[in-house]
Amino acid sequence: MNSAENKRSIMVGIFVLIAIVIFVIGILTLGGQQKKFIESITVSTVFSDVEGLKVGNNVWFSGVKIGTVKDIRLHGESQVQVLMNLEQSAQQYIRQNSKARISSESLIGNKIIEIFGGTPATGQVQDGDVLASEANLNTDDIMKTLQENNKNLSNITSNFSVISDKLVRGEGTVGTLLNDSTLAKDFKSMVASLETTSQNAARASRDLSRFTSKLNTKGSLADNLLTDTTVFSSLESSMAELEKATQSATQMAQNLEQASSKFNNENNAVGVLLNDPDFAGQLQRTMQNLETSSEKLDANMEALQSNFLLRGYFRKKDKEQREAAEEAQEKQPEQEQQQPVQQPVKEEK
Amino acid sequence: MGLKDNKVDTERKRRYFVSRRVDRIFLELYKVYAFHVRFFKEVFVPPYELKEVVRQCYEVGVRSLPLISLTGFIIGIVFTNQSRPSLSEFGATSWLPSLVSIAIVRALAPLVTAIIAAGRVGSAIGAELGSMRVTEQIDAMEVSATNPFNFLVVTRVLATTLMVPALMIYTVFVSLMGAYLNVNQNELTSFTTYMTQVFEAITFLDIFSSIIKTFIFGFTIGMVGCYKGYYSSKGTEGVGKAANSSVVTAMFLVFIEELLSLQIINLFRAM
Repeated sequence: MNSAENKRSIMVGIFVLIAIVIFVIGILTLGGQQKKFIESITVSTVFSDVEGLKVGNNVWFSGVKIGTVKDIRLHGESQVQVLMNLEQSAQQYIRQNSKARISSESLIGNKIIEIFGGTPATGQVQDGDVLASEANLNTDDIMKTLQENNKNLSNITSNFSVISDKLVRGEGTVGTLLNDSTLAKDFKSMVASLETTSQNAARASRDLSRFTSKLNTKGSLADNLLTDTTVFSSLESSMAELEKATQSATQMAQNLEQASSKFNNENNAVGVLLNDPDFAGQLQRTMQNLETSSEKLDANMEALQSNFLLRGYFRKKDKEQREAAEEAQEKQPEQEQQQPVQQPVKEEK
Repeated sequence: MGLKDNKVDTERKRRYFVSRRVDRIFLELYKVYAFHVRFFKEVFVPPYELKEVVRQCYEVGVRSLPLISLTGFIIGIVFTNQSRPSLSEFGATSWLPSLVSIAIVRALAPLVTAIIAAGRVGSAIGAELGSMRVTEQIDAMEVSATNPFNFLVVTRVLATTLMVPALMIYTVFVSLMGAYLNVNQNELTSFTTYMTQVFEAITFLDIFSSIIKTFIFGFTIGMVGCYKGYYSSKGTEGVGKAANSSVVTAMFLVFIEELLSLQIINLFRAM
């Protein structure tokens, strides 16, 4: 083999090798992207309508692609069973009570199966499990709703047409309002009044704002009332005391009422004293007699002091009174002298 | 006079099975069939002309690489640029990588590679074998007990069959890079995002069907070039005719095969 042939062979070898490398990298990348070479589990679900889902479409969980649609086959009565290959690494996040629904990658994108929900209480999904499905709002449903909305809109616009026609002709309250110039003037003055009112309201709100800002000033009564919990608890206890006092006052008033009602009856001593006029006359007379008797007794007592039988007794009594007074006068200076002596002793301590 | 005309007509009917033109078509078809049968017989029979196969691989593959690369790169840019307005009407320019990858892998790369190979390699084979036929080199080889079919046809057909798929892989790579350049300039898409979207759109079926298709295209280009050159008519005019008709026929057959393969692949895709 000459050198030219050798070189040619090497070039062909390099050329083919590079092509094979590109091909293998492409295959591996594609396989990695489509999760062909990773371990997976098969899970199925049953839909009443798959809305054009195809084999190979993606399966999403929380917005992440976790597998692909493996097979789609008719099942039962007009139902479709969809088999999905899910990555084994995603198995732990999908619960047995998770649901599947047909969704779309974007507004005009491919159909996908979206797995959602599931509670941790139920175990993780296993190979061969059947997930519950949820019907999704499809385009036909949206179009039906839109059609209804269109009809409603048509009715509304026809009603508005009638109303506007009446308005133009000046029929009804609003029509009169729009067409009557006097009303327009009144309305204008009303608006002016409203403007004044709104200005006043604005001023009032400013004042109110100022007032409330003062209320919020730290250390003020209102602020303390609203923010200081100690004051609030004191107030609470005061209120409780006040309530107790009120209850006592009520009780006292009731007692007084009962007592006053007894005063009106004549079956007790006070009632007779207050209500019986005969008894009052008798009492008055008794008092007059007592006064007369006391005057006479006073005279008799003076006469007794002069009597020789009792004169000695009265003299003895006067003498005792005098001695007691003298003794009291003697004790007073002694106490005044003792007090200044005791003070320095206390300071030393 | 009338009797004489009838005699001529009868002779003509005896000479041609249907008519001269129709008979020629059937004869041509038979020759094509016999050429294919001979190829499949010779390809498995020694001696194996490996050196010549490598030389032809170099001519077909390595020498065509610059042209294929440049064309593929330009096609990637142009196709992306021309597809953008349609997608931007839907606000879906982010789908450009997916669209471009599907178009390139499924159709553009195999077709462009095959057409360029037909133009460059098919014509070269046709002209080379045609001139060898005209200068009676092939006859000389037959006389000298060398099998010209094995040495000239089998090696070239094998080379085109093996090298066109390899060239297609290069075209896919280079076209995707061209498309990335354009997408990156306009949409500021990162390389990772671009490649993710590219591989998200295509499937194994797309890749393997394209590879199989290009094997068929390569075989067709080689066979057409060799057939046209091997059976070229005498004279210098025949060489030009052989080169020209090998390009035209190969391109035509490539498009027909593309159409048929599309139908067959769609059957697989629907399964």
